[in-house]
Amino acid sequence: MTPIDRRLIFHFDWLLIGLTLALFAFGILNLYSASGFRMEEGLARTSFYRKQLYWGGIGLGGMIAFLLFDYRHLRILAWPFFLATLLALAATLIWGKTIMGAQRWLDLGLFHFQPSEFAKISLLILTAKLLALEHGKLGWSKLLFLGGIGIVPVALVVKQPHLGTALSLLLLMGGMVLFRGVQGPVLKVLAVATPALLPLGWFFLHDYQRQRIVGFLNPHGDPLGAGYQIIQSQIAVGSGQLWGRGFLEGTQSQLRFLPEKHTDFALAVFGEEWGFAGCLLLLFLFCVFLLGIVRIAAEAKDGFGSFLAAGIFFYFFWQIFINMGMVLGLLPVVGLPLPFISYGGTATVTNFCLIGLALNVSMRRFFFKNINHRRI
Amino acid sequence: MRQGLETETQQAPRGGLLLLQLFVLGLFLVFVLRFWYLQIHKGQEFANQADNNRIRQHQVCAPRGLIRDRHSALLAVNEPTYALAIVREDSQDIASALSYVSQLLDLDLERLRETFDKGRVRVKRFEPQILIPSLTFAQVAVIEANTLDWPELKIVVRPKRVYLQGPLMAHVIGYVTEANEDEMNIDPELSLGDYVGKKGMEFTMERTLRGKKGLRQVDVDVAGRQLSSKVLAQPQAGADVWLSIDLELQRFADEQMGEHAGSVVVLEADTGQVLALVSKPSFDNNLFVSGLSHADWAVLRDNPAHPLQNRAVQSAYPPGSVFKHVVAGCALTKGVAVPSDRVFCPGGFQLGNRLFRCWERRGHGVVDMTRALVESCDTFFYVIGDKLGVDRMHSCAIQSGFGEPTGIDLPHESSGLVPSREWRMQRFGDVWHRGGNLNMAIGQGYMLTTPLQVARYTAALVNGGRLLKPQLLVGVPPEEQARLPLSDSHREFLVQTMVDTVEDGRGTARRIALQDIRLGAKTGTAQVVRLMAEHEGRPTSEIPYQFRHHAWMNAFGEKGARRYVVVAMVEHGGGGGATAGPIVRAVFQHLFADELE
Repeated sequence: MTPIDRRLIFHFDWLLIGLTLALFAFGILNLYSASGFRMEEGLARTSFYRKQLYWGGIGLGGMIAFLLFDYRHLRILAWPFFLATLLALAATLIWGKTIMGAQRWLDLGLFHFQPSEFAKISLLILTAKLLALEHGKLGWSKLLFLGGIGIVPVALVVKQPHLGTALSLLLLMGGMVLFRGVQGPVLKVLAVATPALLPLGWFFLHDYQRQRIVGFLNPHGDPLGAGYQIIQSQIAVGSGQLWGRGFLEGTQSQLRFLPEKHTDFALAVFGEEWGFAGCLLLLFLFCVFLLGIVRIAAEAKDGFGSFLAAGIFFYFFWQIFINMGMVLGLLPVVGLPLPFISYGGTATVTNFCLIGLALNVSMRRFFFKNINHRRI
Repeated sequence: MRQGLETETQQAPRGGLLLLQLFVLGLFLVFVLRFWYLQIHKGQEFANQADNNRIRQHQVCAPRGLIRDRHSALLAVNEPTYALAIVREDSQDIASALSYVSQLLDLDLERLRETFDKGRVRVKRFEPQILIPSLTFAQVAVIEANTLDWPELKIVVRPKRVYLQGPLMAHVIGYVTEANEDEMNIDPELSLGDYVGKKGMEFTMERTLRGKKGLRQVDVDVAGRQLSSKVLAQPQAGADVWLSIDLELQRFADEQMGEHAGSVVVLEADTGQVLALVSKPSFDNNLFVSGLSHADWAVLRDNPAHPLQNRAVQSAYPPGSVFKHVVAGCALTKGVAVPSDRVFCPGGFQLGNRLFRCWERRGHGVVDMTRALVESCDTFFYVIGDKLGVDRMHSCAIQSGFGEPTGIDLPHESSGLVPSREWRMQRFGDVWHRGGNLNMAIGQGYMLTTPLQVARYTAALVNGGRLLKPQLLVGVPPEEQARLPLSDSHREFLVQTMVDTVEDGRGTARRIALQDIRLGAKTGTAQVVRLMAEHEGRPTSEIPYQFRHHAWMNAFGEKGARRYVVVAMVEHGGGGGATAGPIVRAVFQHLFADELE
């Protein structure tokens, strides 16, 4: 690795890293509250917020690691990285640890590791590489080729089963493909076929997944069963009203009416304690954060960088979109975390690494130009 | 760096990026709107739901007021009892929990299910629903030993009503039972498992005794564990009640009744305070508190001796000769007779082809009103009654407090019956016959009175003519309801005849005389049915029980400022003087024990 160029520091995207750290800080604060639950003798606390801090530390290390090298080297690593991920996913299915009926974790001694998270990174890089090799809009053949590649990790994740991650892999790839551009007729066929084929997905769903959809469509049909999570989540968010109940004062979370409060439904805890005002602030941060990544994609000087940034954008965008929609009762319950706010070790590390990659693309956007200058 | 790769420099079209940015902004606008909808538009609603999630309000029992006698002796108290309750939300499988309970305590599963199903709609979520209101210590031990396996079963400690005197006071105090469906519908303060007064003073004084339940707010977590609680409203204990009853006198009078069926009423003549109100046979009112089984209830209900009937208040009998004072007073008031009027009693009175007999077959000879009352000559009153006629006797009887409830603070009081022409027409579709006058004049025929009515009338005779409401609460001021239709001189004349009845050698109540106490009395022997010829003239003991006469005695006793009325009524007791007399005498002895030393 070459010594750090001064221009790298000059072009560093301080806003994005600032937003990232701010969101992570909000997440830790919220987790501190979500870790607490009242017992007869007072407030007890689980260690999630502390663990999340450790994971954040590891993530920052990962982020720096993803900054240091020139992202273009990743093109070479794309295929090996992807194949390694597939092996890890297959290993999970064989030796994985089963938690709550799902086989998602590999026990690495010190901690549990979720390969499906890294599948997102490797698929993202590989897709960016393949898209960058194309000229013009994508046609049927290329689309099928990409689909054939994508379906392998998706199938392995579905086996676990982890519907949320499988969905986010598909959406990540789909977003990137659309960002790259698809030929007009192909787009039209896809636009018609996707909604038409979606109901067929019902037959591939597990019972608990079907129940979630039924619960979403009619939460009050089974308020203590399928609809419970949805109802309690909305009660938590809604009861925050304008200014919130105050930090550590959320009754829905402290008294454990809200399940999954530190993971997928952490936003509900935030909404309960910080109210509409806090939520507006959080939405603002997320919005600027996402638009910041879009700008990186726009300003990247090569296709690979641009598609990497686009992939990173979609990676965050879909999670934010689906998680918020779920917590707010606009979408069925799908197990996707809210980046930086939800507890999740592997996810946190992945988030920071991808931000590192985005920053990498961002700070090297002038490199290219200069090289070109030199060549001219 | 590989140069080859640098040639693929291309960028996504700017327009696409703008579209993406607008898409992101649009979605976030949707989120903002959704947050606004949930937190601002419906925020209050959700906040309330959140509170409903965590806040439970529990009622805190208010102890029911105690019942005491006039000397503060305890009659009804509350004792802690152990009830078995189920918390539905803590149960995985309610059906198996119920069958477990039925096996453990050897109860009928069907009835247990019925209890559960009927009660469940009235019990809020997470609140214990009472399944069995009272458990023995052995049962509590068995259940406690198994609570780990059955977290839904809870032992609940509740106050239970205990009647210390049982049958002795059962008819006055009555009892409480668990509120039934109808009572809970009518009274929103009542909830499942609450006790409510059903009979007697427990019923009448319900408002005073019940008190006001407290309210406790409990914060619970999702598992229903109680985390903290604060009292929103302190329970207000029900007020104690002091009855006018003198427990010792009550017990004494009760003992004097022995195995007889009947009643004893003791009144303070000048205040209407009820000092004793005995009805025999009685029942144990404690049985009703913990829920009487259908079988036990049927036994009590179908018992031919009717132990649930308060005979002093709810039973009406022909008054017999006890009624003669009313008729005599009526004749004096209406000017039909004067005290010195004489009638020859040959042992009966011929009306048409029918002979109305005097109880004294040999006849009383010539009697005036005093002798007619003292010796209870029927013939004299046949003559008087014939002259008075039903209308005047009816009006006098009504004004003397018969034919309508006395207003005592006990439910289901009987009115008795004072017959009239209208009543006979309505009841039998027949005109009043002259013979009816004769029967009515000696307190027979259709005339029916309760012992309490007789006692109130007797008290009015000696207290200046005031008909007072019989009071069961100590300390309440006398309540005059009406005045006897008698001038003072006529009233005093009647009182004197009662004294003579005790003091005269041929008086029917001579055996109750007590040294130093001014006593007056009237006996009555009321025919139940017209005696069949085969039983006539035989001693009471040889007549089948159900055909025997009812024995009455109404009496007053005074010494100094103290004046009491005692009425004893013995069902099928035979002669009034012989059976009721000793009871009345003993009660007076007890009342004036300090004077008689």
